[in-house]
Amino acid sequence: MSADRLPSYSVAELNTAIGSLLERGFAPRFLLEATVSRPQLKKGHLWLTLTDGSASISGVVWASKLAQLSYQPKDGDGVTVVGKLNFWAARASLTVQALDIRPSLSTVLRDFERVRQVLEQEGVIDPSRLRPLPSQPASIAVLTSVPSSALADMLRTAAERWPLTQLIVVPIPVQGSVAPTIINTLEALANRTAELGLQALVLARGGGSREDLAVFDNEALCRLLANYPIPVVTGLGHEDDLTVADLVADHRAATPTAAIVALLPDREAERQGLTQRQSRLKDTLLGRILRERQRLQDRAVALQQQSPREKIRRKRQELIQKHQLLKALSPERWLKRGLALISNKAGDPISGLESVKIGDQLNIRMSDGSLEARVDQIQPSAPNTTS
Amino acid sequence: MSKRQVHQEHRDRIEAWRKDAEGLSYEEAMQALDLLLAELQSDSVPLADLQQKVLHGEVYLSRCQTLLDSVEQSIVELDPTTLKAANDA
Repeated sequence: MSADRLPSYSVAELNTAIGSLLERGFAPRFLLEATVSRPQLKKGHLWLTLTDGSASISGVVWASKLAQLSYQPKDGDGVTVVGKLNFWAARASLTVQALDIRPSLSTVLRDFERVRQVLEQEGVIDPSRLRPLPSQPASIAVLTSVPSSALADMLRTAAERWPLTQLIVVPIPVQGSVAPTIINTLEALANRTAELGLQALVLARGGGSREDLAVFDNEALCRLLANYPIPVVTGLGHEDDLTVADLVADHRAATPTAAIVALLPDREAERQGLTQRQSRLKDTLLGRILRERQRLQDRAVALQQQSPREKIRRKRQELIQKHQLLKALSPERWLKRGLALISNKAGDPISGLESVKIGDQLNIRMSDGSLEARVDQIQPSAPNTTS
Repeated sequence: MSKRQVHQEHRDRIEAWRKDAEGLSYEEAMQALDLLLAELQSDSVPLADLQQKVLHGEVYLSRCQTLLDSVEQSIVELDPTTLKAANDA
């Protein structure tokens, strides 16, 4: 290879050539997984070093972009950067310009654990602080992004379950400095709960990644929710996602739709309850009339028992009973069994030999008639030797 | 008082109950109905008032049913900064 076939540049030309090569030959946008090192704010721009331990590259978030980011990277944070290459020809310096920068899952979970620990130690996260939800709230606030499928789902579920509750929808941002905005909105709303007649607050955000929910681990936001003047229901992300906001809320629903289900009664169940009350109302009336009728009948019976005719009937009944008793006790019973009744001429009953002498006329009465007899002989019984 | 006048008075009373009930929320109407049911079930209502009480209960019941059948939900969107109504959805 001879020297005159080699390309020849001035420094400026070389740098420009590298710049144009990079522009043509490199992806205009890329994702970069890295750890943030030494972030520094200079004139509103955030300068940082992106590293993976063995290699590093400098990065920048321009001030205009920084204001839109929901997350401010700290030293040591794992991040995912949506970036593009910036090449400055004058110094041939290469920097990753961050168009978006998000915490990695490990960073989000580390923050979650830290805030959870702090709030648990302070007793801000405490199951005994949970308040019951209103049973049929007249009005509730729904904080969520607008428009969003989460809001559409919540509105549909609310309309199906309980259209009687007024929904006050307050949009919350998903981009930019999300936490301060949500906190400001929540604070302003807290001062107006009575005026708006609010009985509960729903804080909802549809699916997405756990990293998207990082704002709901914000310490100040969670403290505010824990002391909110009305019960708070969270419906954040997917079923498995757990944020600190969920832990301080009075009720944690798995999804935005579930939050509405937890808060609003079911119209069909209420309808059944009404039908039951309707039959109770009817049954009460019929039951009462039946009981009154029975009471009346009891009194009629009591009254009847006090009538003179009834009294005579009862006396007559008593007489009949006594007559039967008398009959049962009369000597006829004995006569029928073969015994006889002996009396003297005067009709006095003879019960032993001492009232009889020979020649007396006696009358012997049996069951079917009587006969006259005269005493011819008297024989006293031999004394009982066994006694 | 003629039979006709009695009927008119009866109708007027039910109408007055209905107007009162229209001012009640679902929960309030349901509470009123439950109170009335408890009173009726305790047999403390004089027989002469029984029919009236049941009719009054039916007015509350009807209020609850009307509210349950409503389909329009009131949705108000507030501006997150001013908290003033952005639009009535």
